Amino acid sequence: MVKLNDLMLEGTQETILFLLSNEAIARGAVEAGVRVATTYPGTPSSEVGDTLSLIAKKFGMKFQFSVNEKVAIETAFAASISGLRSMVFMKHVGLNVASDPFMSIAYTGVRSGMVVMSADDPSMYSSQNEQDNRHYADLAHVPMIEPSNPQEAKDFLLQAFDLSEKYKLPVLFRTTTRVSHMRGLVKLGEIRKDLPEMGVFVKDVHEFVCLPSNSYTLKEKLMDKMHGLKGESDSSNMNRIEHHGNGKYGIITSGAAYNSVMDVITEYGLDADILKLGFTNPLPEKIIGGFITNHRDVIIVEELDPYLESKIRTIAQMHSIDARIYGKLDGYFSESHEFTPDTVAHSLSKIIGFAVQDAPKGKLDLPPRPPVLCPGCPHRAAYYAVKRAVKMMNKPDTIFASDIGCYSLGVYDPYEEADTMISMGSSIGMANGFAMSTNQKVIAFIGDSTFFHSGIPPLINAVHNKLNILVIVLDNGTTAMTGQQPNPGEKFNALGEESPSIAIEDIARSVGVKDVQVIDPYDLKESLKAITRALKEDSVSVIVSRRECAILRDRDMQKTGKILTYTVDQDKCGKCMNCVENFSCPAIFIENGEIRIDPNLCDGCGVCAEAYVCPFKAIEVRQ
Amino acid sequence: MKTFNMIIAGVGGQGVITAGTLISEAAIKAGLNVVMSEIHGLSQRGGSVSVEVRIGDVYGPISPRRRVDLIMGFEPIETFRVLQSVNTDARVLMNKEKLTPISVSMKDEEYPDIQKMISMVSSSSKIYEIDAVDLGRKAGSFRSANVVMIGAALSLGILPVNEKNITDALIDRFTGKLLDINIGAMKLGMMEVSETDEKVQVSP
Repeated sequence: MVKLNDLMLEGTQETILFLLSNEAIARGAVEAGVRVATTYPGTPSSEVGDTLSLIAKKFGMKFQFSVNEKVAIETAFAASISGLRSMVFMKHVGLNVASDPFMSIAYTGVRSGMVVMSADDPSMYSSQNEQDNRHYADLAHVPMIEPSNPQEAKDFLLQAFDLSEKYKLPVLFRTTTRVSHMRGLVKLGEIRKDLPEMGVFVKDVHEFVCLPSNSYTLKEKLMDKMHGLKGESDSSNMNRIEHHGNGKYGIITSGAAYNSVMDVITEYGLDADILKLGFTNPLPEKIIGGFITNHRDVIIVEELDPYLESKIRTIAQMHSIDARIYGKLDGYFSESHEFTPDTVAHSLSKIIGFAVQDAPKGKLDLPPRPPVLCPGCPHRAAYYAVKRAVKMMNKPDTIFASDIGCYSLGVYDPYEEADTMISMGSSIGMANGFAMSTNQKVIAFIGDSTFFHSGIPPLINAVHNKLNILVIVLDNGTTAMTGQQPNPGEKFNALGEESPSIAIEDIARSVGVKDVQVIDPYDLKESLKAITRALKEDSVSVIVSRRECAILRDRDMQKTGKILTYTVDQDKCGKCMNCVENFSCPAIFIENGEIRIDPNLCDGCGVCAEAYVCPFKAIEVRQ
Repeated sequence: MKTFNMIIAGVGGQGVITAGTLISEAAIKAGLNVVMSEIHGLSQRGGSVSVEVRIGDVYGPISPRRRVDLIMGFEPIETFRVLQSVNTDARVLMNKEKLTPISVSMKDEEYPDIQKMISMVSSSSKIYEIDAVDLGRKAGSFRSANVVMIGAALSLGILPVNEKNITDALIDRFTGKLLDINIGAMKLGMMEVSETDEKVQVSP
């Protein structure tokens, strides 16, 4: 994307670009005149931040990668009530972290437009669950908008800001993986330049202090606002009816499911009108009432929970509309995973009655290729050392509490060093509980970004409660899994400006951890020494395993042209298979009975050449 | 209206997403509508990756599995992983470069036999095998293997875009020596396929 940023910067109303929805959302934020944008990176929302980090400054927008989603939403909220348009975006589970302030922000309301984007992940391409965040719109009582494609992602975002400002409420802007990661043609729009760059906070104790006495009144005001919004939804162009054929059936759909429905209608030439919903809380009650009255056979196509369906059935009941409604509650559609044109066609065929040929079921026994730690990844060396140390110390029942990040991949064979993985920071939190309830040794693995996000409170908890845990912080100096975004441990912030680097070992010492060590995971000998020592401790120990992410290192190497790779000297190789079976770097493979290293994959870390991996000293620098 | 559906499959780090974007941008230059899916999975490199490109009168980025026109496989196992679950008359361009999954090498096993895999997909799919990495290296960098594959797809004649569209897309993205390498890679790829299939006609 060499030129894309320039195009985004220079683009005027007439420019058409091929954008990911996430990139279109970043452009939308610029067009809307957003002055403060915050996020904690999380797939499938990450590219919004990656794009803003490149273009925000030039448009007078302050953008930050916040330490976590809770801080991100609070930061954006303060900007909004100081008179600046603000936006906060995160993955679906991030909104759980931010949900505490989110609920009360709805009560107080906002001043300048504020949009909260949640990128949900049906089918869990990169998440621990596929929770349906549309329920948050009901839980918080806020309006919700859902785009289906990149153009809508940008255009609807602008409408979300207008709506937020008109009703003084935060607006939930919900996408899913297939929308956020869909690339398509986007016509750019005009950039608002009339909004102030700096805000002023005008005090009002009754408005922003959620004391019970204030909140009592604020709740009533919130419900009044939401009732007022009903007409807005009925007159919104984000909700529209499309006619196909004679419109025998009526299909109500939204988001990514709309795209699959339309692809099926086009392919099979189905006779169905579509009510496409983009403004989904509150629902357009009059439009829906009319639509189900006119069609009688109504099919609700939505991914995950029967969110629309439950509400539409309620509307039918309230208005005594005698319509046959098909959906998930009567078993026609699945409540799990994303939809595809094939799965939608399959379900529709059972209702409408047309012939579909299902896709062939693969019958080849192909070896799986799950994501793996990259060649040169410092986590591989750390896991290798920990596994050996645990063996040397004869502690086979050691519990490995893992966390969210690339290093979650340590769960796989041969490392098998992730027994639990639940949520951000849960490694140390759960280590507390294991230490209280078992006599087993507990090791918590947590990445640097996750440590800053939610690892500090449980570490303090362990010190305060005198628990015996070993915390290994896998510090690769970046938020690697989501695309190498900076975190507070780095010397640069989201905009590439210099910022103070916060050392994890300093935090550990300052909260009272006595045993703190810093190791270089590439040095297996020193690592083993440090880990075995820490395993003998009976209080809280912290090891910071520090080595730059291999992807960042590769980028530097490609710039400087210094590319070093390793090879196996077949004469020296004793074929003990330790490198393939226990170290398991993707660059090492077996061909014709010989162990080889793929020079295109080898990253030159040299860890496999150390005596702890190759006792025959057969792995050498390729000349 | 005929649409063109294509799946590009490979391993993270092979340039799969870039290949999809280049073909998409070429389609835009040809005046066609295009949508593309990208799934950015867990780890950055080493896992299965696939991208779908859909050109024409389409809405979503996911192709119906019985309507796939072309599979561009950057790696044999990944090619067959897609091929076995789509329509049997899809055209297949396959890079011969074998990348052994950890799940294989860890068990001290070797890469599955490609000819056996071909014989097991009892289909009418035509499989064109290409040594894209070697050709990429000849063009100046093994990293241009993805553009070699695009060149081969051009010669196959099935893409609704032409050489000029791809060249223009390359010019938009690369400059200097990298541009020369990639144009060279496209041309080497074009020479690899002599058989020509019928072009999929997509109206603007």
